[in-house]
Amino acid sequence: MNNTDENHSLEAGEITRFLSYVAILAASVALYFSAEHIPSSRFEVLGAAAFPRFVFAAIFLIAVIAIVDSLRKIPGHAWGRFGSEVQHWLKTRYLVIVCFVVFAAYLLLVPILGFSIASFAFVFGLQMILMPRKPLTLLVAVLVALVFSFGLNALFAEFFNVFLPRGEFLNG
Amino acid sequence: MDDFLTALVQIFAVSTLLYMLVGSVAGIIAAAIPGFTVTMAIVLTLPLTFTMEPLQGVAVMLSVYVGGLTGGLISAALLGIPGTPSSVATTFDAFPMARKGDPGRALSLGVWASFFGTLISTLFLVVAAPPLAVFAVKLGPWEYFSLIVFALTIVASLVGDSVIRGLLAGLIGLAISTVGADPILGRPRFDFGIEMLETGLPFLVVLIGIFAISQLLSEVENARTVRSGAKLVTDAIDFKTWKVMKEVLMSPVNLIRSSVVGVLIGALPGAGGSISNLVAYDQAKRASKTPEMFGTGTPDGVIASEAGNSATAGGGLIPLIGLGIPGSAVDAILMASLMVHGISVGPRLITDHGDLVYGMFIAMAVASFMMLIVSVLSMRLFLRVAEVPKWLIVPTVLTCCVVGSFALNNRVTDLYLLGIVGLVGYALRTLGYSLAPLVLGVILGPIAETNLRRALMTDSDPTQFLTRPISLIFLIAAVLSIGWAIRSHLKTNKMNGVKDANAS
Repeated sequence: MNNTDENHSLEAGEITRFLSYVAILAASVALYFSAEHIPSSRFEVLGAAAFPRFVFAAIFLIAVIAIVDSLRKIPGHAWGRFGSEVQHWLKTRYLVIVCFVVFAAYLLLVPILGFSIASFAFVFGLQMILMPRKPLTLLVAVLVALVFSFGLNALFAEFFNVFLPRGEFLNG
Repeated sequence: MDDFLTALVQIFAVSTLLYMLVGSVAGIIAAAIPGFTVTMAIVLTLPLTFTMEPLQGVAVMLSVYVGGLTGGLISAALLGIPGTPSSVATTFDAFPMARKGDPGRALSLGVWASFFGTLISTLFLVVAAPPLAVFAVKLGPWEYFSLIVFALTIVASLVGDSVIRGLLAGLIGLAISTVGADPILGRPRFDFGIEMLETGLPFLVVLIGIFAISQLLSEVENARTVRSGAKLVTDAIDFKTWKVMKEVLMSPVNLIRSSVVGVLIGALPGAGGSISNLVAYDQAKRASKTPEMFGTGTPDGVIASEAGNSATAGGGLIPLIGLGIPGSAVDAILMASLMVHGISVGPRLITDHGDLVYGMFIAMAVASFMMLIVSVLSMRLFLRVAEVPKWLIVPTVLTCCVVGSFALNNRVTDLYLLGIVGLVGYALRTLGYSLAPLVLGVILGPIAETNLRRALMTDSDPTQFLTRPISLIFLIAAVLSIGWAIRSHLKTNKMNGVKDANAS
């Protein structure tokens, strides 16, 4: 990556941070006003809504400072390149996206398939995505997936009395 | 004395020693894997301690902590990659030393320096924590609230590279802590009718999501490094164990100075091993008669860094035991582990649970001896650990995260929360928000709120926060810490600006 590319990437990063400050600011305003619905108390001065309101007011204040500081750092021409920089960032981070999607699917499947089956599929599947595929690594992947699914389930059930989800699939 | 003996019996029970041994090995192994931090190792240990006695659980976590502070040196010395952020300065001299053909000496130096660093910090802990607790018992809710404000501001301003984002992260943590029933009257807040939010966001799930999931996702950012396993030294290694021990003891000034730096930085909320190793290294270099040798493989550099980072363990426990304020994410997890067992951590911990506190002192010392024995006997085996490729680490540790999140409450909805928090954590990490203030905000939020409301229930005059001297001192210190951080930030920006101008 040359200096110009690096600068473009830094500018896009600052714009993303700016957007995060705006999102935090908006959330703090919304939650500050939603705290109005928290019932008050006759027994104390502050009540249950006061502390969250202090916190959201402080977030609002800091977010405003952050937005001003961030706007100062972003050159005007950087906004035009933002879309393409985001696309480039997403392309370079494709493995992160794939990993998270597989992980999210795993979390959703745990209550249906049960911990052991879902974990075996997840560990083996993700290893297949990430590893260099050779016969030896394939064997390692199967063994590791077995240990971290059925093995982990047995360990927790036998030694710690923690029963991981059995799953509707097995129960039904 | 009774408490001390009870603690001694509990720690020296065969089962506790065995668990601690496993913890020590696990800590060293975890930290030896580049990208696997000590915090992550302790987060994953926490669910395993739920079924143990409180002291047994804390002792195991301390042994993971002490082992982890040492394990980071393996990849730092042999690969030049710090296994954990607390071993960054170790790479400066241990790696060149290993490259010059003396990897065994580099590793032994680090192990011995870590051992003595932990022992010295335990000594400080034993001496400093009880008087601090005696002082803290006299603090009222006004002082406690101000102390938490100070702790959060100093964490937010010291960690990471932006004061603003540090403060925002701390405040987001406080905001997360307000979800669910309020801590005094139990009134529902911000649950939006969603059942999973009614009891609040479980601390452990937030912790695992924020630290572990986000870290693991960031480990797969670079597709090329995911598929490879780096090769370590293949030649025979001579550890020169006893010769190196003498070498470390022959540098008493460097050893003690670096350990004291570690203790002081560890005791300061927010500053942990990731800062102390660099400060201790810098101090050793300044005091050295041959500063030009630093960075070329000098033993003093390795001793300073490793003694400095290991001594933060004892230092960090001083405010936790004395005040009930965790100074770092690791201390927050230790606090959470006690809270899971229904033990409230605060200045009364020493009087109410003396055996537990003495047990923590003993456990620290035992853990440091265990780390030494395990390291000396099995270092050759641990060398292979740094070769474990990321394609194996990421899926397996993600599964452990799922187990850890589920084990606390046996609720499937916690798993969905884990996914959401993990994604938010990754976004925050990528955007340069420091995560430690956020986690401290989550754990300190209810304590801050309770003390604020208690203070105003006792006396509705809010100026009491400014008129009570100790409370005022903490608030002034909070303002100063932010001011100091902003000043250093501006100074760094100015220097960078001058450098850029010169470069162009």
